[in-house]
Amino acid sequence: MNDTHTNINTATDSKTSVQATDSRQTAVPFSFAQQWEFTLKELRETLRDRRTIVTLMAMPLLLYPMLGLGLRFLAFQESSDQKVEYRLAIGSETEGAWLSEALQLGNSLLAASSEAKEQQPAPDVQLLVPNDPSEFDLEALVKNSAADVGVRVQLNGASVGNQFPATARVQLLQSRDSVRSRDAADYVQQRLAAANIDWIRQTSELNGKPFRLPVEQIRVLLEPAETGSAVLGLLPLILLLMTVTGGVYPAIDLTAGERERNTLETLMALPVPRFRLLVAKFVAVVAVTMLTGLMNLLAMSITLYALQLDKTLLGGDGFTLGLGCKLFLALSAFALFYSAVLLLLTSSARSFKEAQAYLIPLLLLSIAPGLVILMPGWNLASGTAALPLVNMLLLSRELLEGTVTLLPAMVAIVSTVLYGVAALAMAAQVFGNDAAAIGSRGGWKDLLQRPKELSQQPSITAALVGLAILFPAYFVTSGVLSRGDAQPSGRLGLSAAMTIALFVGLPWLLLRWQRIDVLAGLGLKKTSWHYYVAAGMLGIATWPWIFELVVLAQSIGIRGIDLSQIENVESLLAGWREVPLWLIVVCLGVVPGVCEECFFRGYLFNGLKQHLNATWTIVVAAVAFGLFHVVLAGGAAPERLLPSTLMGLLLGWMAYRSGSIVPSIVLHAIHNSTLLLVVQSRDLLAEWNIGQVEQVHLPWLWLAVSAGVLGVGLMITRLAIKPAPFSTKEPETI
Amino acid sequence: MIELSQLTKVYGEDVVAVDQLSLAVGQGEVYGLLGPNGAGKTTTLRMILGLLQPTSGEATILGCRVSTDPLRMKQLIGLVSASAGLYQWLTPRELLQYFAIGFGLSLEQAFQRTRELAEVMELERFLDRRCATLSTGQAQRVNLARALVHDPPVVLLDEPTRGLDVVGAKIVFDYVQLLRQSNKAIIVCTHQLEEAERFCDRFGLLYRGKLRYEGTLAELRASTGQPSLVDIFLKLLRDDGSGNGSSNIDSAKEAVLAQ
Ligand SMILES: Nc1ncnc2c1ncn2[C@@H]1O[C@H](COP(=O)(O)OP(=O)(O)O)[C@@H](O)[C@H]1O
Ligand SMILES: [Mg+2]
Repeated sequence: MNDTHTNINTATDSKTSVQATDSRQTAVPFSFAQQWEFTLKELRETLRDRRTIVTLMAMPLLLYPMLGLGLRFLAFQESSDQKVEYRLAIGSETEGAWLSEALQLGNSLLAASSEAKEQQPAPDVQLLVPNDPSEFDLEALVKNSAADVGVRVQLNGASVGNQFPATARVQLLQSRDSVRSRDAADYVQQRLAAANIDWIRQTSELNGKPFRLPVEQIRVLLEPAETGSAVLGLLPLILLLMTVTGGVYPAIDLTAGERERNTLETLMALPVPRFRLLVAKFVAVVAVTMLTGLMNLLAMSITLYALQLDKTLLGGDGFTLGLGCKLFLALSAFALFYSAVLLLLTSSARSFKEAQAYLIPLLLLSIAPGLVILMPGWNLASGTAALPLVNMLLLSRELLEGTVTLLPAMVAIVSTVLYGVAALAMAAQVFGNDAAAIGSRGGWKDLLQRPKELSQQPSITAALVGLAILFPAYFVTSGVLSRGDAQPSGRLGLSAAMTIALFVGLPWLLLRWQRIDVLAGLGLKKTSWHYYVAAGMLGIATWPWIFELVVLAQSIGIRGIDLSQIENVESLLAGWREVPLWLIVVCLGVVPGVCEECFFRGYLFNGLKQHLNATWTIVVAAVAFGLFHVVLAGGAAPERLLPSTLMGLLLGWMAYRSGSIVPSIVLHAIHNSTLLLVVQSRDLLAEWNIGQVEQVHLPWLWLAVSAGVLGVGLMITRLAIKPAPFSTKEPETI
Repeated sequence: MIELSQLTKVYGEDVVAVDQLSLAVGQGEVYGLLGPNGAGKTTTLRMILGLLQPTSGEATILGCRVSTDPLRMKQLIGLVSASAGLYQWLTPRELLQYFAIGFGLSLEQAFQRTRELAEVMELERFLDRRCATLSTGQAQRVNLARALVHDPPVVLLDEPTRGLDVVGAKIVFDYVQLLRQSNKAIIVCTHQLEEAERFCDRFGLLYRGKLRYEGTLAELRASTGQPSLVDIFLKLLRDDGSGNGSSNIDSAKEAVLAQ
């Protein structure tokens, strides 16, 4: 220490001195620079560690070439378009000369006949002729697989010639259990048979009798439907498991490691919400996991390419850049999910050992579904697309096979990301909570404990968990509903019931569990009448614009439903004709309007705003809303993403301005109902020669009027007096 | 500047670690919170920092309450803890910058602060070496510097001399002097009574979560009639023992003398 009287207060400028402290009103506000510094530290801690680098770089470089050799063996066993070579052992030079001439003749006869020639590449034939016939043992050669088939020819003094049918006795020695040997024997037999028939034909024609074969045979080779195979199921499993191994060590190191090395206390002494610290760790773990994934993907594709396995295994163009990008997307979603789960598990651990103990069951659990999907017949469908882990494995396999469809793929990715977000939010609750900081009880049983005190609003964790449950549940139930063949009215009723159960029932349960007043938690409050008026106007006036956006999206080629499905929709609409209009409007307009608002602008919105400011709350809720609307009973409808998200922004803004979800409910219900009425009356419009509404833009007059109403509605919403302030306060600690 | 009122922590159902603790520390004052192991010193500091939620009571610094504004509270406090480790893969420079930015300093401020602290705490020689390679004494200096990156008005030290040799203890002593000159409010928790006698202005004797005696050394001598802190503590144990059965005395005596 310096002997001079250094005054450490005056060292920096007064910003951080004692006096200035009093005026510091808030804790450190969020800044990207700070968040970056947090992330940088976590990255340094992980990437400077050699262990990370080894799993990151060395493992894939070692693993895939070895694996590739194994795969090549498997692939050749399976493959049918590889050039094959038959080794025929024969007793003497003369026999060999006879055989090769006979085979050649058979070949040309077969090629000329109707039996398709290009279907199978002609095999190479290698004749094994002895130097010293006396020491030559045909049978031993075949038995030891030194030759595929042995051929003995007894010639009756004749040479091969078209004019002079010769008699020869040919004996084929075939190994009993070898497929290759059988194929080789078949090969010889077919050609000799063809030669025989030709001799018969010629003899017959020489005698002036026209010759016809009593039976004519044609063999057609078909491509098997399952181009894949066990190998294609194995690749994603290896790829995904290898990817997550990259995250295991950093996840343990950055959470349990902080406690083990006694750095957690000083970290927790930072005036920053724990969530931000955990997010920095999460970003670091995801980065390492994704890097590992990328390395593995590269090593795998290079191996496949170098061993010329890609075309054999994948068919078509082999391993393309596009395929690589799609696989990387799937890997990234998986990395997000798995990293969050890893952090959730390791956050509560007090030591490395304990963390590892938590991870072993997880890793075992991860392998199990991988083995399941190795069995044929599993694909990404309404049941499996929402199953964590299984969905990513299936998605990667279908990517490799080239059999993916948009909807389940999207659901798989979105639900995986949502599970990850929910797990991360839960991890933030566990990470460094007070009991844990001091090194004793606590941990993730806290998560399952009901809060003891009454609170006003759902926590952000509870909101995100709700979202992570709801999305897959919605996808699965709508898939199930679309399968049943109930009457149209029954189906409408069912879908309304499902909407209520999911969008109101689930938040209701979650709110009760958290001991939160349900009406307050959903945001069902009274508000100024101005908002109702505005909501009514906006509800009537927005549909033409949403409609135009859908048309625009479709016209630039974003369109999920193909023609066959449109027919489905048509028949569905036709079925509705018998259903009274009010029932349609209630079940598809009003009920979804009310219920979706309860969730998106109610439960989710109120949870999000505990941590996010108004803008981000509105945006996140709107994007979630948009994603839900891409899921349709019949398939994905990506053209609905943008319009629905915009609609979500409008609804969120309305909820924020009015401090209640009732105006958004009014807006949403009216909007849905008007849209339905328009669709229902399209036949009428068609009769009036206005043409098919779906493909034609709306008349300008309509757009102009609706723009006017829209403007007034927005003005009222903007100018009306806000009843209650929107809470954006920072939570004290997470 | 620091005020604790009726601060209480009960672990689980019935472990009363800190019991109705009230005290105040002023600017430029070094307060020694003394007591044997398990007296509740660390628990008290963690409650002030907001790392532990008090069962009841309140801690206030410059009008900021830990119960309502724990994040701002953390900004007012620098923490030095004997058990605190360093990040093995960072250099002291990176570590100091990390904490400076974590406490809300801008990048330039963080650079400047790191330079100043490196000079004051004499870290320049190993500023760019990995923390894992530092000696105990060097690591301790980094830790002491880390507590000051945001120049807090309050510094809490938990057993700052534990595990250090004479030179290390001297550095801590100088550090506390430096803090005193900079007009900070300081609480030093320790069970090293003789050492505490040397650098604290006022003392609080904590035993089983309760504050038994408080005052300057002169005041304590006058009220207890004992010459030194060790003697005062032994008297305290005797008094306590007469009420609770004699077996306590021996165990507690051991605790005090086992320094
Ligand atoms: N997390 C905990 N759970 C239960 N009891 C604890 C916990 N932490 C500390 N204690 C108990 O609280 C008392 C005070 O501990 P502590 O504050 O660490 O004492 P000191 O720092 O003075 O040595 C001790 O009896 C200790 O056993
Ligand atoms: Mg202690």
